[in-house]
Amino acid sequence: MTAIAEALSPRDTHLADAARWLRRGALLNGVIALITLLLGILAAARIIPFETLRAGLLFNYAGSADTALAIMILLALINVSFMLVLTVGVLAREIWTFPVLWLLAVANIGLLFALGWLVAGLNAVLCAWLGVRLVRELSSLRVNPVMIKELRGRMRGVRAFAVITVYLGLMSGFAALIYLVYAAGNRASGSAAAGEIGRVLFLGIVGIELLLIIFIAPAFTAGAITGERERQTYDLLRTTLLSTPSFVIGKLESALGYILLLLLAAIPLQSIAFLFGGVTEAELVLSFIILTVTAVALGTVGIYFSSTLARTLNASVRAYSAILAVMFVAPVVLGVVLRLFSNLFSNQGSLLFSPVMETVFKYADLLLTSINPIATGLTSQQLLINQNVLGFYQFTLASNGSTIPLVAPWISFAVLYLALSAALIVFTIRSTRETEL
Amino acid sequence: MSELIIQTKNLVKKFGKFTAVNGLSLEVPAGSIYGFVGPNGAGKTTTMRMLTTLTRPTTGEAWVNGHSVLEEPRAVRKSIGYMPDEFGVYDDMRVWEYLDFFAACYDIPEAERKRLIDDLLQLVDLTHRRDDMVDKLSRGMKQRLSLARTLAHDPSVLILDEPASGLDPRARVEIRELLVELAKMGKTIFFSTHILADVSEICTHIGIVEAGQMIAQGSMDDMRAQLQPHREITVTLLTQEAVEAVKTLMSGFEGVANVAELEPKGGRFRVRIDYTGGDEGVAAISQKLHSANVAILGFTEETKDLEAMFMRVTKGIVS
Repeated sequence: MTAIAEALSPRDTHLADAARWLRRGALLNGVIALITLLLGILAAARIIPFETLRAGLLFNYAGSADTALAIMILLALINVSFMLVLTVGVLAREIWTFPVLWLLAVANIGLLFALGWLVAGLNAVLCAWLGVRLVRELSSLRVNPVMIKELRGRMRGVRAFAVITVYLGLMSGFAALIYLVYAAGNRASGSAAAGEIGRVLFLGIVGIELLLIIFIAPAFTAGAITGERERQTYDLLRTTLLSTPSFVIGKLESALGYILLLLLAAIPLQSIAFLFGGVTEAELVLSFIILTVTAVALGTVGIYFSSTLARTLNASVRAYSAILAVMFVAPVVLGVVLRLFSNLFSNQGSLLFSPVMETVFKYADLLLTSINPIATGLTSQQLLINQNVLGFYQFTLASNGSTIPLVAPWISFAVLYLALSAALIVFTIRSTRETEL
Repeated sequence: MSELIIQTKNLVKKFGKFTAVNGLSLEVPAGSIYGFVGPNGAGKTTTMRMLTTLTRPTTGEAWVNGHSVLEEPRAVRKSIGYMPDEFGVYDDMRVWEYLDFFAACYDIPEAERKRLIDDLLQLVDLTHRRDDMVDKLSRGMKQRLSLARTLAHDPSVLILDEPASGLDPRARVEIRELLVELAKMGKTIFFSTHILADVSEICTHIGIVEAGQMIAQGSMDDMRAQLQPHREITVTLLTQEAVEAVKTLMSGFEGVANVAELEPKGGRFRVRIDYTGGDEGVAAISQKLHSANVAILGFTEETKDLEAMFMRVTKGIVS
């Protein structure tokens, strides 16, 4: 579609302006993340000293200098994600953009004082300034009509209730099964550690939830746009003043809202594990984050294929195969390859056995783990239990005993998946517009 | 002529090698009920989709309410209410929710929507079905609901694609009455149809399209005059003597082109007078026959029906 330079109403112009500034903010943070990474590489190559970097950019942080760099990159990327989401939200005139914008401003002010990250000050000023500007446009922000329509339909009657009941029933049954099998197994061997039962129960329930989400999330969104086309209601919507971002965001909100409900409904069930012990609150929170991020990412994958294809069936098939290929097949295949190579290279005495190679393998390993939510969850849990690490940590290289900064995979997983979701939302809006003519 | 609310100039739409609309120029005056008539496949729906900004014309231009379809699609969308030929059903939706959703899509604030929905339902006579599911409505009711939806944002033009297709006779009459009522409220109604009875019943203007081209358009009166050189008055008489009397009385009357005796029907004698004058003349003829004490049973002006007119201008080409 050729760009239509239609004169916008003053209100629309203000919102479009705010969206433009948010996009610039996201770009700025992206560039800052990149620059920080470059500085880190320069520092690692001993061209500039690490300590100066930390003192200049993250002056309130007491930990090691390379961890400080990793934290800065991560914070910049989180800002990028939030600002991109806000950009789309403002364009879609979502009411939640206003509180989220202020939340981001406050969070950045907090970061500025807590860690002394200078960029946070810049982000806070940008967000607060846009927040003040949005006050005038508050009356034009609204709850998304598409979301209300979808949720009204979805939650009506016994269906929604029945789905939740069946979902919880299945999981309860599964949990009971795990418990019985495990208890029987232990009775035979004679010892049963309550903590172990708790952990197994917890893992089993989260695993089942993850599986259900992998099936449900794309199914909810794969029909979002194709369904409107198939029911021939799409033309009706297009002749209204509803914008494409509003339409896409509304569809996504309603699907994810329902999945969130399912996740929240399952939390009491997960908490049964607390009765046995062996599971910490941190694990519960981590599992919830991983499940939610997975749902968001898979939901956007579904809606993306829904926007590019004509039929719901095709969109579902493509979404599932893409998810299977990227989330499971690719990490497993690459993981095997990586393992082979690292074994080859890390043999003592091998010519290629060097700290650099080991670092590269370690980071590649982290990246592969972050692609798959199951691997992410298990690795994060192991780190938490064995090393009491929730976020950043230092890893000691076997080759020369020096340390490199690493991050628990759930963080890199969340950043990776949220960035993917943001990109897919943008692509979805674009392709929805393109197929309009 | 009053100001034009829809205007197109040499509108062309090609789908690959197939030309759906071929240089169509349309002129719809404000406040009219415009019947857009043509055989299936003549390009009616494509034209409407271009007017509603759903499809971009290959070449040519179109304006709705003074806004260019190409350059100001949002302004155009604000001015039009569009009803496609198929009714898009959302399952799991109540009647009032259906209207509420579309009103929200037209940026109508929530505080105003309840009143608006009540008014719209009353207008289309669906107040008693307010809380029913949309897919439980009859086809006629769905069509009326659809019409209510097009009115949610108070547009000045309604573009309706086959509003009466597939309806039973009663529902069709109801829709027709509704359209007349809306025209009285000052809306311009532009609708496509292939049912000529609908057109002759309610339209003020008509455009006949064939193979993507406009072959005749204008007000109904102009079109009739244009396609029909004279009016035909049929006088039904009691006796053969009366027939002769009418013949002699009319032979010298100004504007009478021909007087012909028709086959008697049901024992009644009939004479056809071909007349080229205006309404005053028709009254004068009636006056003259009465004053001559001719035994008249009936005096009617045959409006030559639209089908004959349609058959005369179209060639039966379906692109």
